[in-house]
Amino acid sequence: MGEGRPSRVTVSVVCIAALVVLTSVATPFASARPAHEIPFSEVQGSGLASPTADGWDGVPSSDVALGSAPSSVPNADDTTVETVHVQAARSDERLFVRLQWHDATRDVGADSMRRFNDAVAVQFPVNTSARPPIAMGGQRNMVNVWYWSSDTGTQELLAGGPGSTTAFPDPAVSANATYHGSGANATWTVVYVRDLEAAGENRTTLETEGDLDVAFAVWNGSNAERAGQKSVSEWHYFPSESRSAGPPFEALLWSVAGVAVVAVVAVTAFGVARARGGMQ
Amino acid sequence: MSTDQQDDSDTQIDVAEGIDHQVAMVMDLNKCIGCQTCTIACKTLWTEDGGSEYMYWNNVETKPGAGYPRGWEDSGGGWQSGEHSERQPGEIPDQEDYGRAWEFNHSEIMYEGSDEPLRPREGAEWGPNWDEDEGAGEYPNSYYFYLPRICNHCTHPSCVEACPRSALYKREEDGIVLVDQERCRGYRYCVEGCPYKKVYYNTVSKKSEKCIFCYPRIEGEGPDGQTYAPACAEECPPQLRLVGFLDDEQGPIYKLVEEYEVALPLHPEFQTQPNVYYIPPFAPPQHTEDGETVDVDRIPRQYLEQLFGEGIDQALDTIERHRQRIERGGESELMEILQDKNPAKQYRLEVFDDG
Repeated sequence: MGEGRPSRVTVSVVCIAALVVLTSVATPFASARPAHEIPFSEVQGSGLASPTADGWDGVPSSDVALGSAPSSVPNADDTTVETVHVQAARSDERLFVRLQWHDATRDVGADSMRRFNDAVAVQFPVNTSARPPIAMGGQRNMVNVWYWSSDTGTQELLAGGPGSTTAFPDPAVSANATYHGSGANATWTVVYVRDLEAAGENRTTLETEGDLDVAFAVWNGSNAERAGQKSVSEWHYFPSESRSAGPPFEALLWSVAGVAVVAVVAVTAFGVARARGGMQ
Repeated sequence: MSTDQQDDSDTQIDVAEGIDHQVAMVMDLNKCIGCQTCTIACKTLWTEDGGSEYMYWNNVETKPGAGYPRGWEDSGGGWQSGEHSERQPGEIPDQEDYGRAWEFNHSEIMYEGSDEPLRPREGAEWGPNWDEDEGAGEYPNSYYFYLPRICNHCTHPSCVEACPRSALYKREEDGIVLVDQERCRGYRYCVEGCPYKKVYYNTVSKKSEKCIFCYPRIEGEGPDGQTYAPACAEECPPQLRLVGFLDDEQGPIYKLVEEYEVALPLHPEFQTQPNVYYIPPFAPPQHTEDGETVDVDRIPRQYLEQLFGEGIDQALDTIERHRQRIERGGESELMEILQDKNPAKQYRLEVFDDG
């Protein structure tokens, strides 16, 4: 190999380095948000209480992956809903959370012993400074759950571990739901509304300084899903303030990482080329 | 103590851990006439509210027969072994297997002058004891008997274990199994888990309900403060039920179950250790077409063993031996217990102050 002409190895290394830089830098700029963040919008008024309100079109959304909950109930692994579409918005007075998921069968009004209802739930830590165990919280670290069932409506629940779920006598949260479409595209849409200020012991403070942890669960009634047989998410969070793009420090970090990768690749390529030159 | 008892040390009362005393019932199937008085006594006392129309906490079914709910003996539930470490999967019966609450043509007959017979309007295709008196076998050796059933308030209740919320529990003072209506969220795992299908789901209240062994009666919660046995026992015309505590060593339950071993649990293979016991049914031996008696069991032993387990031979033999003793002019404590008509002996509910 003669002096002054780039070797094939060098060309390959440069191409790979360029690819690494692109994937390192371009991807975070495209999604611009950490994987477990659920963005929300600041909105005016209370026009989002309806599941079909036009205002929801302008609210950012997330597709949250769901899996079978770790549970000891029979058939716990047999769940059907894999994704829930989440949107959240906050006005001066209220938090709105809108959940949408596909369910080909509308299971409402369990009027026989073998039928179960479709249902959905949002889970928050009671004490927002610490993240509780994902499965219904823990004894010292309880969770506040907003639960909506197609049959019995809305409940506000408190839980300190599996099997401990207890309903608040007077729920601070309300929910509205619609079901539209047919077949595989048929969709439930449920909107929860709660005042940011809601008094009561063991009730999540929504006006928190930091991020607010949140998790989701969906039950498909026609699959006899109830109790611990449910599709659940991991912990996600609402960021401490609304933002439409990822934080600047994040892009900066990714850029630094990209440059570091390029540098390492370049040094390695230089070393390899030099070693080969030395051998000739 | 009976002379039939081979070894006193065999007698051991298995009361569930953490339970002070175990309430229990013995039903003598030889006395049941299938009148359903117990069924109605229970029905009118406890299950008149909306959503419980189909429920019979006490029912009487004809055996052999499909039972209530239809096919309950094959619906799963219970435990896989006597170690009670793993439950047997079960299923929730279909509404049609219980039967729906029928509407009758009362108004036509009583107010509109119809001379039609009283009958359900429509949809009467199955119900509790639908196969009444059908039984099995061929003439002249057909056979059947009646089997009254309540919740067995088991020593190892699989319904309690099945509930992920601990909404079902076994009372410490007397072992009665109850559903906490505040905790129940209608998941129905208890309905699946009970192999006797004696927990029911109320589609109106969205909660499970079951036989409570008439605990307000045995606690003396009535207007006069008196203690009463469960309504199904007190109202029974032939008085076939004895009620008391399994661990009351002076009581008839203990003697029949533990000493003489003639009162047997129903389907012991479900491994829940029921605390309702049965004196197995006797029937005349088979006849030839000419009416001659032949020495063959009318009710096949094998069938009784399916229902009451391996103790059936010993139980039937013991009772037969005591019957013969009486026929020869002798005495038998066992026969006295089975024929006693003194309510104070039939129902011993105040023997434990803390019970």
